[in-house]
Order: sequence, then C-alpha cells, then structure tokens
Amino acid sequence: MGSTLKKVSQLLVSKKYLKARASKPGVNKVKHVNKGDACMYRITDKRDLSPIDYFVEVEAPHVAKAWKPGQFVVLMTHEKGERIPMSVYKNDNGRIGMFIRKLGKTSYELYYDFKPGDYIYSFVGPLGKALKIKNYGNVVFASDAVCGQAENYATLRAMKEAGNYTISIQSFENAANVYPEEFLAKPVADEYYLTTDDGSVGMKGHYLDVIKKLIEEDRVDIIFAGGKLGSLAKLAELTRPYGIPTYTTVRQIMVDGTGMCGSCRILYDGKVKFACRDGPMFDAHKVDWEDVLRRDKRFVELEKIAKERYLKSRGVI
Amino acid sequence: MPRRKLIKERVPTPERPVEERVKDFGEVNLGYTFELAQKEAERCIQCPADYAPCIKGCPVHINIPAFIAKIREGDMKGALRVIWNDNVLPAITGRVCPQEDQCEGACVVGKVGDAVDIGKLERFVADYTREKGIDEELFQEMVSNRPERKEKIAVVGAGPAGLTCAGELAKMGYKVTIFEALHKPGGVLMYGIPQFRLPKEILERELDRLKRLGVELRTDHVVGKTITIKELLQEYDAVFIGTGAGTPKLLNIPGILSMRIYSANEFLTRINLMKAYKFPEYDTPVAVGDKIVVIGAGNTAMDAARSALRLGAEVTIAYRRGREDMTARIEEIGHAEEEGVKFEFFLNPIEFISDEEGKVKAVKFMKMRPLEERDSRGKRKIEPTGETVTLEADTVIIAIGLEPNRIITEDCDLETNPDGTFVVDENLMTSTPGVFAGGDAIRGEATVILAMGDGKKAAKSIHEYIQSKKAS
Repeated sequence: MGSTLKKVSQLLVSKKYLKARASKPGVNKVKHVNKGDACMYRITDKRDLSPIDYFVEVEAPHVAKAWKPGQFVVLMTHEKGERIPMSVYKNDNGRIGMFIRKLGKTSYELYYDFKPGDYIYSFVGPLGKALKIKNYGNVVFASDAVCGQAENYATLRAMKEAGNYTISIQSFENAANVYPEEFLAKPVADEYYLTTDDGSVGMKGHYLDVIKKLIEEDRVDIIFAGGKLGSLAKLAELTRPYGIPTYTTVRQIMVDGTGMCGSCRILYDGKVKFACRDGPMFDAHKVDWEDVLRRDKRFVELEKIAKERYLKSRGVI
Repeated sequence: MPRRKLIKERVPTPERPVEERVKDFGEVNLGYTFELAQKEAERCIQCPADYAPCIKGCPVHINIPAFIAKIREGDMKGALRVIWNDNVLPAITGRVCPQEDQCEGACVVGKVGDAVDIGKLERFVADYTREKGIDEELFQEMVSNRPERKEKIAVVGAGPAGLTCAGELAKMGYKVTIFEALHKPGGVLMYGIPQFRLPKEILERELDRLKRLGVELRTDHVVGKTITIKELLQEYDAVFIGTGAGTPKLLNIPGILSMRIYSANEFLTRINLMKAYKFPEYDTPVAVGDKIVVIGAGNTAMDAARSALRLGAEVTIAYRRGREDMTARIEEIGHAEEEGVKFEFFLNPIEFISDEEGKVKAVKFMKMRPLEERDSRGKRKIEPTGETVTLEADTVIIAIGLEPNRIITEDCDLETNPDGTFVVDENLMTSTPGVFAGGDAIRGEATVILAMGDGKKAAKSIHEYIQSKKAS
C-alpha cells in the first residue's frame, strides 16, 4: 500500500470493511422509496432559494404546535438516513418550513429525490432551548449562511411582535446567491440591510461591517446571529469590548439531538455543555470558538465519501 | 422421586467461533438446542419454591425451579407460562441479565459445582417457543378474554420499563399510547445493546405483539419538548415515565474535547441505531482509527470494545480498578477476551493528549493501587501511586456511566433527587398524582430486568389508582 493511500485509509472506518462493502453488488443503489405508515411526514412545498440553497416545508403538527424561536428540528429522509439537525424558518398551519443548503448527502438527496407530496421518514422536535422573547429595545439579527437566514426571519418575527425595534442584516456571497424577496427577513425588520461580498447587490461587505457601524452609532441593545461559525467567532470578538449581549447559534455535529450522545459538546464558560440540550444559542462571549471550529470538521472525510457516492449514483458528478 | 446424581459441570452452549464472529455483528452465543436444554435442566435439584435461593435472587422472582421442571417434562408452553407470570420478555433478559449476580449467583448447585445455567435455559424457552409459534398460542390465550376499558394511559419512553408497563396495561384492557423520542422504539435495547448480544429481531417481535394489543406508538416525540407531562395529563388518565438514564457522563479532565473521543452512547448509537457499521449503505458514519482505548469496565464498555473490534481496530480496555471489580457480565468479559480485546487494570485517566489537528493521540493515566478497605458497593478502594503511564490511542471511547436525561424535567414540576432521578413512593408514583415512574429514571443506572420489574409494578399501581379514583 502506497504512503498516500495509507494516509487516506487512516481516516476511514475500518478500511477493509469499507472496501468489502464497496465491492458488494447492489450497494451502490441508493434510491429509496418511502412508503407505508413508517414515513409519516409529508413534504408540502419545496422551492429554490438560490443555486445552493432551497426551501422545504414539511407537515409535522406535533412539532409545529410546540416550536419556538431558537429551537431546531431533526429529520431523517429515509430509514437508512442520518439524523440531521435543521434550523426553522417558519411554523404555520402545522407545517415547519426550513432553509437547507446543498452540502452533504442528505441535503442533496432531499433536494433531488423528494418532491411535494412525498413523505420523509422521521421528523422530531422542537429541540434545544427557546429564546427568551421580550422587549429588549433595539434587536439585531445577523446571518451569512442558510441556517442563519432562516433563524433571522423566525427570531425577528417574534421579536417584532414583542415590541422590539428589529434590525435585520443578511449577508450573501453575491447577487446570484441572494434569496427571492419573499424569503428575506425584510417584512419583520424595522431596519434592513442586505450585503454581498462582491457588492453585486446591496451593500458591499459583510454583516460584521454593518454591526460595526451600528455599534459606533450606539444603536444596539442585543445581537443575535447565526450562520458560518468563523463569522460568529469574529462577531464575539467584535462585541466583547463593548459588552453588548451577543447570542449565536453554535451549530455542531449531532446524532440524537436530545442530550443522549454528547457528540455536540462544546466548552462554554470553562464547562462542557451540549449544543442540542443547553443551546443551540449560546452567549458568544463564553464560547470557546477555537474548539468549536475544530470539532466541526470531525467527519469531513466520511461526509465527502457519502456525498460523492450519492451524486455519482444520480449522475450529477 | 428417585435420587438424582448431582452433575457438577454445566452443559455448554454452542458459540460461533471467534475468527468468524469478529467479522460481523451476528449473535455470538447460539443458545441451547432442545436436547442440550433438557440435559442442563436435569442438573437443577428442584429446591422447593418457598426456599429456592434462585427465586429470591431474581429481581422479579420468576419461579425458576418450576419452569425448569417443565423443560424436563418437555412442556415448553408450560415453561413459558411460568416465566411470563413474572417476566414477559425472557428472550431479552435471558440474554442481558447479570445472572451470576442474581439467580445463578444464589443457585445451590453452584455451591458445589457450576450453577445451573438459568439464563440460557430462560433464553431457550423463549427462543424455542417463538420458533415453534407456541408463544403466539399462549399469547392469544392470555389476551382472548381481556376486558375493554376506556381509560387512556400515556407511557413515556419505549425502553424496557415502558414497553413492559404498556404491555401489562394493554392486557388489562387500557388504551395505551407510548411516546418515544427517537425514530425507533426499544430504548437501550435498540441504541445501546449491540446486535451480536441481542439481535434486533427479538425486539421487533415484542413490538409487534404490543401493536397487536392495540398499543399506539408515537415515535419522534420528545416529552418535555414536543409535548409536556402537564399536557399529557389533560388527555390521559395516568402517565408512566420510563425515560431511562440516557445522558453520558464524561471525564472532567484536560483534552476531553479532542476529536475522536466518543461517549459510549454516541459510539453505540451510531453503530446500533444508525447502523454506521454499514456505512455508506447507511448514511451515518463513525470515524475510528486503528488503536482504540475504551475507558470503563461495565457492560457498555464491553459492548463498545467488541463493536470497535468488529470495525477492524485494535482495542484496549483501561479500568481504574482491578479485574475482579469489573461490573460487566462475566460472559461479556469472557467474550471480549476471547475476541482479542486487551485489558489494562489500575489505570485512571488524567489527560487526553492530541495532535496539532486536535485529534486524540494518547491517553495519560495515573497508576492506581488497591487498598484492603472496600467501598459501599463492595469494591476495593484504590489510591494513586504517583506514577503515570501513557497509552497510544487514535480513538477513545468513554464508558464510565450514565445519568437520567433531564430534558423531560425541564417543563414539569415533578420532584427529583440531586442525581436527576424521580422521587417515587412505594407504588412508584411521583410527587404528582397520576404520574408514575420506573426503571433507570428512578434508579440511576440499573438493569433491564429491574426496569421491566418496575414497568410491571407500575402497571398494577396505575390500575389501582384508576380504579380507586373511579370508586370515589
């Protein structure tokens, strides 16, 4: 075995095992048909948000009834699927709407293999702690990735109802990635900023630039944020000197989502906390971000295998 | 009765050869055949029921000599009837009970030779009757004349306690709904205990039976989040909580957040519930290296170690106490050793050392030494020697215990103990009338059989509670 091969194989489960499985006929067939009473959750809507993100809505009255901003859900597309945590955009009429990025196997699969009217296998929630919705004054929600964009709308919708002055900042890479107007947080924002990295639409820059400006103007009472972990870590450093309360979603790899496995543990205020049970929103100033960023990469190699295997089977790559 | 000669040696149960079984997750012990079971049953000296130490040693007091007598007679339906009187899931308990500390530990034959293999005989009765469809006949007889009652009971958690409680109540005619947080029922029987020790088909059969009793199962419901105990009480006449002890304890030492350090719960859940050993046919991965250290020496540690071994790794179990103080079932320790798991004793972890990427690469231990004095559980106390030792490891699995998951208590005002277990009275009722609890949710970390015992007892208490409420 060559040295590179050896290096790669070290990353895997037992390499012998994987090899044996890969050579088995039939293993590469990955299309699943969900039928019968085992799959209970109907997809009611699915639309493109951008070339990389999409919106999906699932009928799940048990979750919709109890869900509150700050909480998330866990879904499985089929019996052999993973349990994937998802942020929530909306809960209306017993349905939960979510924004999903085409990133790993499950998100691609849900995009390509499932259409409105199809059923998914499992849908559980709400999980995690709800945010305290009250009148804080000037409330900012900033986001620069798919889960954060969903939370942006969901949180400010409730904050506005609670009498806050709501400021929404949504950052995208470029004009092509910006969502259609109806999926932006504009309707629930008293003040709204849209930024793109290249300035192709809206302001050129990132939500961090806008927040800097708002802080200078002394117009911020509390900040919530979600999206890319790297930006959240920077946000924590930005607001720390001013002592502005800053709460961010700490997205971590989870299995059950109910505090049973400890996969999503983070170091918070010097103590081990579970993102699923004690979060997912945490005081950003108390989070050990270096550690969070590192743990996010735990399954990178294996995630890539699953994704590429699926995309190949679909003829996408 | 003619005087029988005491046979000191056990009739062994066939097992799959080591080389074969470590390559897959199929069951290791194959159980007795009819002939072997009858031969082993002959060894029982049939202590009278009012004396038999095995009955006293059994947490649910199965009339063991009686069911063994039925095996000798070849009346397997009769044997199953005796067992079902006290335990409706013998195929499971026969496989997972720590018999050496219970019935077999008390067996009189065990004083002069090997104890009668009560666990394997119990399992035989369950497996044989299932194979021949005899259990189904008996089941139909037992449920044919059940009354119909209109009261509704909610059972929280589909593990050993909840399933037993639901089954008993359904047999009494109540309308039972089980709420389960995960996408599959079974609790620890599903996510915790591996296939090679408890094939999941056994569980499926029990679940199917509950379904046919009219028990409704709602998966994907996290009580405390999706629905609260208070909401359940508005719709149901009583509630049973069997939520177990599902939160892993982690070591509070430097480096605990290094990558490739799993709680045994995460590792086993990935493998058993999510079938990560079949990745990428199944989507959930489990990243393990070639050198795994498992910390702890209970059944969970053995399960994790043997699962890791089956993924192709070299596995060492490190335990802070000595060999004789390991808490796992003797059979599991034996199997682990046979399969090539290494054991290191008197090593207490003090630090996880990781590489520049943050992946664990070694575990630093304090060497311990035993003292003469024993603690409240009868284990020898230990003290540090001051000498440290480092074991190389690219994956670590922590199996040092579990505590109740507090999610359920967040949204209710049930009284709990400091360790998160529910406070219950002698009828297993919590501080809220109509809400009962059992299993690990009240015991911390105990056994499947005790949880089943609680489930059964709680069903009786719930029945009495509802009847007395109706009378008043």
